[in-house]
Amino acid sequence: MSKAIELHTPPGASGARTFWSVCAAVVFLALFVQAWIVVQARPEDLLTGAHGMADIISRAMPPAFDQFVPNLWPVLETIDLAIFGTVFGVLLAFPLSILAAANVTPALPLYYGARALIGVTRAVPDLVWALLFVTAVGLGPFPGALALAVHSVGMLGRLFAEVIEDMDMGPVEALTLTGAGRVQVLTHAVVPGVLPSLLGIGLFRFDENLRSSLVLGFVGAGGIGFQLLTAMNLFQYQTVSFLLIATFVLVTGAERVSAYLRRLFM
Amino acid sequence: MSTPFSASGDIPLSPAAAFPAAGSDMPGAARPAVRASGVKLAVRDLTMCYENGHTALSNLNLSVSAGEMVVVLGSNGSGKSTFMKCVVGLNRPTGGSVKVAGRDLAALSGEALRRARLPLALISQHANLVKRRSVLANVCCGALGRHRTLATALGRLPRKEIEPALGYLDEVGLLHLARQRAGTLSGGQAQRVAVARALAQRPDVLLADEPVASLDPEAADEVMRLLRRLATEDGLAVVCVLHQPELAARYADRLVGLRSGLLEFDRPASEVSSQQIASLYIAEAS
Repeated sequence: MSKAIELHTPPGASGARTFWSVCAAVVFLALFVQAWIVVQARPEDLLTGAHGMADIISRAMPPAFDQFVPNLWPVLETIDLAIFGTVFGVLLAFPLSILAAANVTPALPLYYGARALIGVTRAVPDLVWALLFVTAVGLGPFPGALALAVHSVGMLGRLFAEVIEDMDMGPVEALTLTGAGRVQVLTHAVVPGVLPSLLGIGLFRFDENLRSSLVLGFVGAGGIGFQLLTAMNLFQYQTVSFLLIATFVLVTGAERVSAYLRRLFM
Repeated sequence: MSTPFSASGDIPLSPAAAFPAAGSDMPGAARPAVRASGVKLAVRDLTMCYENGHTALSNLNLSVSAGEMVVVLGSNGSGKSTFMKCVVGLNRPTGGSVKVAGRDLAALSGEALRRARLPLALISQHANLVKRRSVLANVCCGALGRHRTLATALGRLPRKEIEPALGYLDEVGLLHLARQRAGTLSGGQAQRVAVARALAQRPDVLLADEPVASLDPEAADEVMRLLRRLATEDGLAVVCVLHQPELAARYADRLVGLRSGLLEFDRPASEVSSQQIASLYIAEAS
């Protein structure tokens, strides 16, 4: 071994590394075993339940394509839930992220306040927000849209703040030294610097919200989810399979559109 | 757009010979008028002690007049950057004064400091342009301090600054790139845009903190020629921190040597020997 390598590899380092690797493997295995026990995993049940699953699948065939027209409105509702939730999420999250970004926040109390608000809105799942809003404003798509908007504020606020914190501060300092005011620096240096990243994150969020809006229907927040729940409760499996196909097309289409738009902006 | 200094070639050693006096026929749609003569930057007994007890600057005195180009030399840790930061108000000195247009920046803070340093423009080692905006928009941003309106707060550019901004771009020889995205420029071009942005601020004093440190020799020469011309023709007081003694000797009217926060010399460039410059660095190393 050359002297240079010896300098970088102290004696015993290799043995210590092996020891810690074994420790890490043991810890990982222990975690997995306890998870297996806690979730009461029974793979044999999958085999015995295969017959029931096959029965449902056979009853779901062929999909009820005649349900296309009656479900157009719920599909539109699902898309609109995601649009409403994303737009309001972005509009509320952006100012909050400015306050929550350590490098541009105007004051420390505002920073902590914004971080706390982002934390709360993010920690409570959108399903729980939907239940709360259903209680407050009744059944329908509106509580679902509100739930998506509030949860998006938390998710987007955090990501936006991280993008702002990672941005190149050179232009910000340069503009500050020209005598520009705080808001001018924000609109002329911070926003142009981070806008493409924020748009990309917003479009990702639209993807997420579209998927979430399907689930929110299960708690009475409208859209395809609500139709899916109704069809399952009425044992209309052919309608269920059609709605699953519609969901697949919707989610995949939204992913493609969002990926295209991200490429356009970035 | 070509300028009299855009072509590469031999640079005469005497700045006066190389750069004609103010009023010569220069292209530039909105080239500012030559500033009034007199001392534009007066630094008196400037002292900066950090909280850890380190004295970065000690009783530094320096005056820079309109039309003068002063280059500050010194090794790393000699206090050059601290000096620049104290002058622009990024660091509050522990003693002394920094007077620009008769106002002591060292005694001001907040909004008063922001207003007082409007006649002072800074160019850094990196151009610090907003890469996704056009070159023209970047230059216009230099004028934002004079246009604190709702429209500019909402991201609009001050309309009446567009014509002058084109003039400043013409002055730095980049008018043809006005509509191009700043992110597509070369290092030398970006630095010249940064100079144009500084000009849009309409300063009396132009500070340049290692403006050519990340540029190749040709681009560095272009930027230094530009700074020299701004001093000679536009009457700006230019203070430039450099690590290249040969560039300093070629372009400066006066050389200022700093060592361990103390002023070693402040003399006309022609009176400073290469040994004196070298001693700034050798002494620091030993």
